[in-house]
Amino acid sequence: MIEDKRVFTTELAVIGSGLTGMAASIYAINRGISTSLAGNTGAIAYTTGYLDLLGKADPSSCTIFADPWQAIASLRENQPHHPFARVTDEEIRLGFEEFTAFITSCGIKYSSPQEHNVMALTPAGTSKPTFSVPATMQAGVEAFAAKKHCTIVDFRGLRGFSARQFVANLQSEWPRLEAARVTFPNMEHGEIYAEVMARALEVPANREALAQEIKAVAGESEVIGVPAVLGMHNPDEVMADLARLIGLPIFEIPTMPPSVPGIRLREMFEQVFPQKGLTLVPQQKVTAVDFKAEQIQLSLRDNFGPITILAKTVLLATGRFLSGGLQAQHDGISEPLLGLHVSQSDSRDDWYRQYYMDRAGHAIHLAGIEVDDQFRPVDAHGKIVDKRLFAAGVMLAHQDWIRGRCGAGVALATAYRAVNEAHKLLQTA
Amino acid sequence: MSDATVPTINFKEKAIELLPEGASFDACLTCGLCSSGCPASGIENMDPRKFIRMAMLGMNEELSSTPWVWTCTQCKRCQHVCPMNIDISQLVFLARGNWPKEKKPTGIVRSCELTRSTDSTSAMGLPPDDFVFVVNDVLEEVREQQPQFKDMVAPIDKKGAHFFVNQNSREPMSEPDEMVPLWKIFHLVGADWTYASKGWAAENFCMFSGDEEAWYEVIKTRLDATNELECAVWLNTECGHSYYTMWNAVNRFGMEANFRVESLITYYAQWIREGKLPVNSDWNTQNIKFTVQDPCQIVRKAYGDSIADDLRFVAKKLVGEENFIDMQPNRSANYCCGGGGGFLQAGMTEHRRTYGKRKFDQIMATQAEYVLTPCHNCHSQMEDIGHHYGGAYHVVHFWTLICLSLGILGENERTYLGPDLAKIGL
Repeated sequence: MIEDKRVFTTELAVIGSGLTGMAASIYAINRGISTSLAGNTGAIAYTTGYLDLLGKADPSSCTIFADPWQAIASLRENQPHHPFARVTDEEIRLGFEEFTAFITSCGIKYSSPQEHNVMALTPAGTSKPTFSVPATMQAGVEAFAAKKHCTIVDFRGLRGFSARQFVANLQSEWPRLEAARVTFPNMEHGEIYAEVMARALEVPANREALAQEIKAVAGESEVIGVPAVLGMHNPDEVMADLARLIGLPIFEIPTMPPSVPGIRLREMFEQVFPQKGLTLVPQQKVTAVDFKAEQIQLSLRDNFGPITILAKTVLLATGRFLSGGLQAQHDGISEPLLGLHVSQSDSRDDWYRQYYMDRAGHAIHLAGIEVDDQFRPVDAHGKIVDKRLFAAGVMLAHQDWIRGRCGAGVALATAYRAVNEAHKLLQTA
Repeated sequence: MSDATVPTINFKEKAIELLPEGASFDACLTCGLCSSGCPASGIENMDPRKFIRMAMLGMNEELSSTPWVWTCTQCKRCQHVCPMNIDISQLVFLARGNWPKEKKPTGIVRSCELTRSTDSTSAMGLPPDDFVFVVNDVLEEVREQQPQFKDMVAPIDKKGAHFFVNQNSREPMSEPDEMVPLWKIFHLVGADWTYASKGWAAENFCMFSGDEEAWYEVIKTRLDATNELECAVWLNTECGHSYYTMWNAVNRFGMEANFRVESLITYYAQWIREGKLPVNSDWNTQNIKFTVQDPCQIVRKAYGDSIADDLRFVAKKLVGEENFIDMQPNRSANYCCGGGGGFLQAGMTEHRRTYGKRKFDQIMATQAEYVLTPCHNCHSQMEDIGHHYGGAYHVVHFWTLICLSLGILGENERTYLGPDLAKIGL
């Protein structure tokens, strides 16, 4: 069969389509850099929707910081190799602002980051510090802070979210919290999914039917909380319309994966990026990168056949073990695409401490790619691999994003700096 | 149903054989994105994640005999959203093929048998002579009654024509006037095209019956016909699976095709860009809203988003940018409507409509009055679920709207237009 060759030429090739790759694409689009983005689905569909900056400066301590900036200052002292030590507060602020402004303009409104962390709700009925929340979750943060009279509603057939559990865990902190269960309209039987409910709520008739169900259990509540199902494509409109129909403010609580806030972000990016001129190769991993003198050649293929991307600069944001950015083998941890040097403990025996829940964390979570101040990967001797190659996100060494509650912070701040550095290089070339 | 039992497959073992090196169903994180995004989830108490987990647990008897495999349309959305890129549809294909013929849904088996019963490869069994007769008969009538098209042609077996064009049997069998708009388009752009008396038909349910050998044979007939006529392009009509069954088979079976396999949609877009099809939306003075259904077989499973972009380019030119509303999700992430995979032929009406509820909600959320789609199975399914669930929308082919926009749509070529458009441009 006679086939076409597909070759795309761009200034920046972003490899990886998690939060870091998405954020890098936004910064590149805003700077007028012609950009391609390739990568597997990534873990973005697993996100709660919260954007954390930094909740804990010292993983082994119990202290949760209300002021992330104070936490970052403390972290820079204690962990001088942490990626946050290579960026300024100003850059972090600007990175967050640019990111949340972009997604807000694309129809998923986020709170503009403030000076302080807020305490946000989790599906288990606990709270955690975060920096920026989707507008659909904002009323939950406020209701929790003010301890308003609130009913949490769950749905027959929806696994992974229990209003009773949520209330049981929070009751001591939040006395006027109640649980109720309703049947989602037209989903009376079997297992139901948050994603399906969210899409169903884009239809006005389904919102009206659900509002009736919720009104019947609302009692004297001042506000209603539901698992994150308030629409997929127009969440803010769905929330506003449901609030109008019920006559009470309503907010979302993140659910277990697969979670709606993550799918929302991914689907929005996949639609908006090509409209903004970005070359998107969704769902495919780059299989080879060849650094030639005149250009960098990326190879990959989709269902239709081979694709070549020719780029002037490359930003690697392939994440950690789950998305394949790092690989753990018997003899150590490697970076499979470019064979980059991976900072890691000398022996596999040191990856984990004896107790999984040990407050001090595990060495394996600090392993990752070493970079210089321009976020260019370096080899074991500290020499840069190629001045056109940048790396960002949680694949970087010396950070434990889960314990630090700093996943989005690391993603956005490092992508912001790396894209700016790539931009400088492109301008001088 | 016969008394025959379904032999048991060792799914885990087969999966290891089928998967490319390094890939593994063990990689499944059990996150459930597949099931959450699958319209067949819950039917027959099964879903894609459960299927994988049961395969890993060795529950081979249950998986070998579950009728769910006939309600999964093999649309590959599960793989599309899977962070580990696990392809469940190939296990479904395997399971389908493993069912004894007499237990498989009769409609799919019958369609495949009819496809192989004549050189036409028509799933409705229309023989070559009858096809040639209908084409010539309709052509003659149009040339007489629409003087503007007195020189229009519909060549058959024209050696060396640039395009080898296939035709869904539904048109020559039951609505022959629906062939005319496409001929008019070819006439207008000056395309050098031909039908063939052999291998002209577009359908191929043999793939959906899981019968690899039959699938190969049907494609071989079509491929030989195209090679014999020395056409440069095998041009697939407004149909989803006929493209996929050809394109995928050429690669899968390593067949020798001396031509390109292409979709009509990319040519609609090209001809509009080149000014050969000067369509516009001036006719849409009522600002009637349209949406587009992306057929899985040509978008997610083959071309990817590039053809979805062409679909939107053409649609917006036809109806006006402001009158186009996208379904959510869309393009490669779109939901299968439930008409594909042989579902329409399988006789499992209740399941098919349960599956189609998500498509119905997607369409209703757009509040569009019309759905455009270049796929006959999508077309039939969306009409059916519209009637069943009480939607007032219409489903139309692209060729209808192209000719409507150009003011050349004949009176008998308006089967799928609603009353609001029935008289426009007559």
